[in-house]
Amino acid sequence: MATRIDFASLSLMDALDLAILIEDEAKERYEEFAAQMEQHRTPAAATFFRLMAHNEAKHGQELADRRGQLFGGLTPTVTRAMIFDVEAPDYDEARAFMSPRQAMKAALASEIKAHAFFVAALPALKDAEVRALFEELRDEEVQHQTLVKAELAKLPPDSGLSDEDFVDEPAAQ
Amino acid sequence: MSATCEFQAKDYKSDLKPIWCPGCGDYSVVQGIYRAMAAIGRPPHEIAFISGIGCSSRIPGYTTAYGFNTVHGRALPIAQGIKLANPDLLVLAAGGDGDGFSIGGGHIAHLIRRNIDITYIVMDNQIYGLTKGQLSPTSQKGRTTCTSPYGSLENPVNPLLYTLAYGAGFVAQASPTDLVGMAAIIEEAIRYPGFAFVNVQSPCVTYGEEAQQIKGLKAISESLKDLGHDPADRLAAMDLAQHYGSKMHLGVFYKNPEPPATYDAQIRERQIQLSQGALPKERILDLFIKK
Amino acid sequence: MRKDLVFGMAGSGGDGIVSAGDSLLQAASAEGYHGVMTKSFGSQIRGGESSCRVRISTDPVLNPGGNLDVAVALNWEDFLKFGAELPVAGTTVVIYEAATGVPENQIPLVGVTPLQVIAVPIAAMAKETAGTERAKNTVVLGLIAGWFGIGAVAVMKGISRKLAKKSQELVEANQKAFDAGMAFAKEHPLKADMTIVPSEGKGGVKLLTDGNDMCAAAAIFAGCQFFGGYPITPSTEIMQFFTNHVWKYGGAVLQAEDEIAGIGAAVGASFAGKKAMTATSGPGLSLKSEMMGLASIAELPLVIVDVQRGGPSTGLPTKTEQSDLFAAAFSAHGDVIRPVLAPTSVADTFRTTIEAFNIAEYYQTPVIILSDQEIASRKETLDPIDTSQFKIINRLAPTGSDLQDYKRFKQTENHISPISHPGMLGGTYLASGIEHVESGAPTNSGSVHARMNDKRIKKFDPLKERKDLFEITGNPNAPLALVAWGSVAGVCREALQMAREQGLDVKLMVPYLLYPVAEQTYRDFFASVQKGLVVEQSHLAQTFKVLRMHLDLPKGLQSLARSGANPFLPGEIVVALHHLLSELQRSHEGKLQPQE
Repeated sequence: MATRIDFASLSLMDALDLAILIEDEAKERYEEFAAQMEQHRTPAAATFFRLMAHNEAKHGQELADRRGQLFGGLTPTVTRAMIFDVEAPDYDEARAFMSPRQAMKAALASEIKAHAFFVAALPALKDAEVRALFEELRDEEVQHQTLVKAELAKLPPDSGLSDEDFVDEPAAQ
Repeated sequence: MSATCEFQAKDYKSDLKPIWCPGCGDYSVVQGIYRAMAAIGRPPHEIAFISGIGCSSRIPGYTTAYGFNTVHGRALPIAQGIKLANPDLLVLAAGGDGDGFSIGGGHIAHLIRRNIDITYIVMDNQIYGLTKGQLSPTSQKGRTTCTSPYGSLENPVNPLLYTLAYGAGFVAQASPTDLVGMAAIIEEAIRYPGFAFVNVQSPCVTYGEEAQQIKGLKAISESLKDLGHDPADRLAAMDLAQHYGSKMHLGVFYKNPEPPATYDAQIRERQIQLSQGALPKERILDLFIKK
Repeated sequence: MRKDLVFGMAGSGGDGIVSAGDSLLQAASAEGYHGVMTKSFGSQIRGGESSCRVRISTDPVLNPGGNLDVAVALNWEDFLKFGAELPVAGTTVVIYEAATGVPENQIPLVGVTPLQVIAVPIAAMAKETAGTERAKNTVVLGLIAGWFGIGAVAVMKGISRKLAKKSQELVEANQKAFDAGMAFAKEHPLKADMTIVPSEGKGGVKLLTDGNDMCAAAAIFAGCQFFGGYPITPSTEIMQFFTNHVWKYGGAVLQAEDEIAGIGAAVGASFAGKKAMTATSGPGLSLKSEMMGLASIAELPLVIVDVQRGGPSTGLPTKTEQSDLFAAAFSAHGDVIRPVLAPTSVADTFRTTIEAFNIAEYYQTPVIILSDQEIASRKETLDPIDTSQFKIINRLAPTGSDLQDYKRFKQTENHISPISHPGMLGGTYLASGIEHVESGAPTNSGSVHARMNDKRIKKFDPLKERKDLFEITGNPNAPLALVAWGSVAGVCREALQMAREQGLDVKLMVPYLLYPVAEQTYRDFFASVQKGLVVEQSHLAQTFKVLRMHLDLPKGLQSLARSGANPFLPGEIVVALHHLLSELQRSHEGKLQPQE
């Protein structure tokens, strides 16, 4: 089973499927993060991650609809095994007691990462339609970044204090 | 070989919510295991996943396989009993570095020499996390922890060299820095017919040092494939393994190109051979008749 | 003429005295007698002192007997090392090696005048007839055949069969040594006729084996398909039997790297759905105790054999003791009940082992069989056992509807939940040492812990009601009583017979189930008891204390306890009963005749 993407031979259908998988992965990761935050008594960050999961799901659905119109029920040839952490925040971005600001920064980092993914892929692409799609996706990532930054700006100024200085120390098991 | 379409990674994910700290490397490891299981395509009920005690040893419960979260250091003996009792099962064992190389350190050598077809994944974070940050057998010399406030005076165990030296047929290293690679390595380890060892450098977000986090690990990581390493070359593998602790080589260090017969396969032959002409169980006491 | 003869023989390992005992027992069994043989050794691997007791009887034998009828000393130094294990009395015929140079009236036995003392030039006879002193043991067998009428033909038949493969010369040399012994006996008749009564074809087919082999065979019969263990004296023969035979029945054995891995592999095999076993002795039991805790909380069936030896630590590795009861009942951490069973003879090791598997499987629990060095290594002749009378119980399998929404630790009326195993579709669950809810998911909830403890403890209630795990003999209303288990039970059975023949009104309880303590069964037994003895080979009197912990014992119940390797004799128990009787009579007298 191929586990790496061959950008040179990527068809438009593959590219759309890949984009859907990337959104799926991001959605699942945000859901996972939200669950982690709920599990670790960090509700504000959990709420934010749920919101991000919802956004990613929405993007994914839009792409899926497009794919449906163009290619119907044709079996995809790309799989989740080919991608990792493209638009999903890295696992090590999560922290117990993370503030909404930190959660947003983690999301912002992943949008930047996704942008970099599409930028890096562009030179290898051969198919013009695929290229157009990747450029579109790349630009969307910029929009997402702007949205997250706007959310960040709404937050009260950073106190400069670390939550880590206030919380209980870990419990031995 | 292509994955059967029957099982996807999510089919191996259970409903239990991990107790791991957010940011823990083990979240990625369990994802890697889901992916490897899906690639293998064995149904969850034919998989037995055994662990010891420690943060990472919670892992079987997060899969839909038959899990057994046992006692500290004893995942391997229990996994062996399972495999010998029913060689048809896919048996995985997992745990942390303390579980595998300290309290249970005596077992791995024997599993290797028996060559029982079990895949053993150690989530190596160089610290005791569950008990709040004590020195572990893979902690670097000089490391300060709550049980080594003036710095550790001990050299760490080198899990790669240890398993290679005892003659393991498959030794690899993976890390959450490359999940796709990790899933592929775990899959290859499971497919290897015999004992397979995968050391996963999985950082502890709560007690790990900065350099041991994902970003730090990325900086010292090197792919064995990119280095042009031949996994059939055991001596070259041992040479590379010496860099454990300073570099993080990812990939397969050693894979025996001609895997010998496994212990579990041989017991089957023995059972078939000896069952011929045996006294029925009901007449076993006839063995004690003295004429 | 005698119906029952007890032989005690000692020498150095090179004298082959134990092998002579083996030949004697086999010959007696071939001739239709019942018999028991126990062995005892010094601490050397080779060349230390060694001894055996062989008891041969026309009736079934309950224990290795008390005072010797016949003592054979190939040298005095080694014989004396066994002390109370080879007790010489006024009724004993003492045969010893003339080459020791000890005059017949100066043998080094203090405080006793044996019935007869005979010095025999055993080594010289061996050298002269067989050409080697090594044939001393065959000369001894010839003497025994001549004086006591056992094995005149059968001994040499057995020896020939054993040696035929080696060389005919060797067989002939042994025959000459044996004949010389017979001839010496004929030329020097004993003062009293001590020949054994002919067995009159009471024989038929007999089995001859020891407790360890019997235990392993019973386990295989019960369906055990996995053994994980580590060599430790005196239990190792159980693993050896498995490695010889279990493969034939689709099973496997793992000689593990240590005691912990041995029981660990057995726990794993049980989790995989197979009946599994491990065996050990005291020090190994200590190492295994963490795993026993795991098997208890994960509710996995498992049988652990502890062949007790003198402890603590290495203690007396080749001698018997009953000092592991506390360890068996209480060693693992946490609130837990682990059933403990004990066989009392080689013959009932078969039943006890099957019972252990049945209890383990039915209650989904580790079960400990407390055997002891004496039962484990003593050889017994037995009548054939009808195996069809034994019922085999298997663990409760989940039904189709259980598997619809499978809960491994489901609360049920009898607290026993259907158990799946890897490979079973729909039965996946997480087994764990951590506390868990019904599904198996981990929890740290106090209320769940309390409920699960309740389940794991209450499930044993019916076990405590089982009367068939207790043997009660004698008058049910007797005021005098004995309680004994394990190898000591056999001594007490004989003491009971003797005491009743002497008119004492006494009864005996032999528990096969030691733990959990079956309170009601003991209460019923003790209801009539005014005086009694709990007889055991434990310096701390562990049995007496475990009983006292669970019950209000009758005031007159006393402990008769001593360290291992110091066997009880039936006669001394009878004497102790007489003492109790006089105390009882005195106290009644006191009541009837007020003091002045």
